[in-house]
Amino acid sequence: MIWNRLYLIYGIAVVLLLGVGAYRGWSFTSVNEVKNVPKSVRDNPGSYRAIYAGYHHYTGGK
Amino acid sequence: MSAPAPQVQSLSCPNCGAPLTVRSMGRAVTIVCDHCHSILDAKDPQLRILQRFEAATGDEVPLIPLGTRGKWRGADYEAIGFQVRTMEVEGITYSWGEYLLFSPYKGFRYLTEYNGHWNDCSVVTALPQADGISVKYLGKTYKHFQTCEARTTFVLGEFPWRITINEADATVVTDYIAPPHVLSSEMAGNETTWTLGEYVNGADIWKAFNVPGLAPPAIGVYENQPSQLRVSASQTWFVFAALATAMFVIFTVNQLFAQREEVFQEAYSFSPSSAEASFVTPDFELKGRTSDVEVQTDADVNNRWIYLNYALIDEDTGQAYDFGREVGYYTGVDSDGSWTEGSQRDRVVLPSIPPGRYYLRVEPESDIGLGIIGYTVKVTRDVPVWSVYLVAFAALLLPAVLFAWRTHNFEQMRWAESDHPKISFSGGSDE
Repeated sequence: MIWNRLYLIYGIAVVLLLGVGAYRGWSFTSVNEVKNVPKSVRDNPGSYRAIYAGYHHYTGGK
Repeated sequence: MSAPAPQVQSLSCPNCGAPLTVRSMGRAVTIVCDHCHSILDAKDPQLRILQRFEAATGDEVPLIPLGTRGKWRGADYEAIGFQVRTMEVEGITYSWGEYLLFSPYKGFRYLTEYNGHWNDCSVVTALPQADGISVKYLGKTYKHFQTCEARTTFVLGEFPWRITINEADATVVTDYIAPPHVLSSEMAGNETTWTLGEYVNGADIWKAFNVPGLAPPAIGVYENQPSQLRVSASQTWFVFAALATAMFVIFTVNQLFAQREEVFQEAYSFSPSSAEASFVTPDFELKGRTSDVEVQTDADVNNRWIYLNYALIDEDTGQAYDFGREVGYYTGVDSDGSWTEGSQRDRVVLPSIPPGRYYLRVEPESDIGLGIIGYTVKVTRDVPVWSVYLVAFAALLLPAVLFAWRTHNFEQMRWAESDHPKISFSGGSDE
């Protein structure tokens, strides 16, 4: 009985978390957050240093 | 206030002269000399010898010494008799100990012990009803576990029945279980005695009777041993089903009410040889509550790739969300036939983006010298995300599967010792 209670409490927590996540739009995408980006980026996009620049991409092909 | 100690009567063994102690007053039928192990008729004033042994009958030492007193099940009891019962299954001999307890007010009960597993047993007054290979007793079904012939191979102390150590005195013992209970029938001739046992912890007995040292550790899984989790797998699956249903309701509501609001779409072209590739999009507004944002990229790539450094930037706060996406699509023909790899479409869902005015800063990359690549960027807010549900479902399923697996193993070990070793018994009777 103790196991079932623990599992029920755990499961309710998972379902509640899921409900909050669904409402708040959670996803597992890794995003790097940068604060206080200057407004000058609007006029000079090249001044922004992209975190992911220089990515070693897959060159493709079988 | 505890009950007075039972009266003790002192006698001598007619075989060896050793003093005898009778603890159950006039209720003893058989008494065993603890010195020469002669079995004596306690009802005979001369203590007639029922069975005499030329040699010691064994070196069995009761774990609970005879004469030990304690409070058990709300009454004062004293251990007055000990016997070892033995059975043989497929050439293997199994022995267990039975301790006879006596209370002047409550009468007799037994404690049985096998490999550190203990049962508290009492003779039942109502007759169990047969139900197929099971029996019913007081509304509870007990499943058949084992039938065997058992003999008494060692005795000590006194007993309220005639007892001998004789190969011919085997009784047929049948056990029916509903953990933590076991219902046993013992058939000798035309007489059948039913006893009801309940699994108890050795430590509780040691505490109740103040036995020195520790109770021997339990080895293996005993026939009526309750699962430590004390619940059946079916009850866990029921809870899982209820939780999965709640999850499905959330999923359905999310599917029905997700706004899937397209806030931006624009087509672009990229020349890898251009000196400055980065640019920003026009503003777009994310309305409503904090929600996820999907960025979809469709690129006209064939046997090539385009990589896009994205930054979703809040116009007012300067908060940026950086991410990079690659779109690559390859096709060809080899000895296995035609093949394709990758896709011309990429989707990514950014989590929990607050409302506000945003723009995208985009910086594409690709191989130089392969011409212009056309691509489209589309931004949609509040889209359902499957992966969150899959992870939540796995989080619910995993403990239930682990529990079911543990329960299954426990029951397999239990029933491996029975007459029905292939039965996987996970019914809800562990309560």
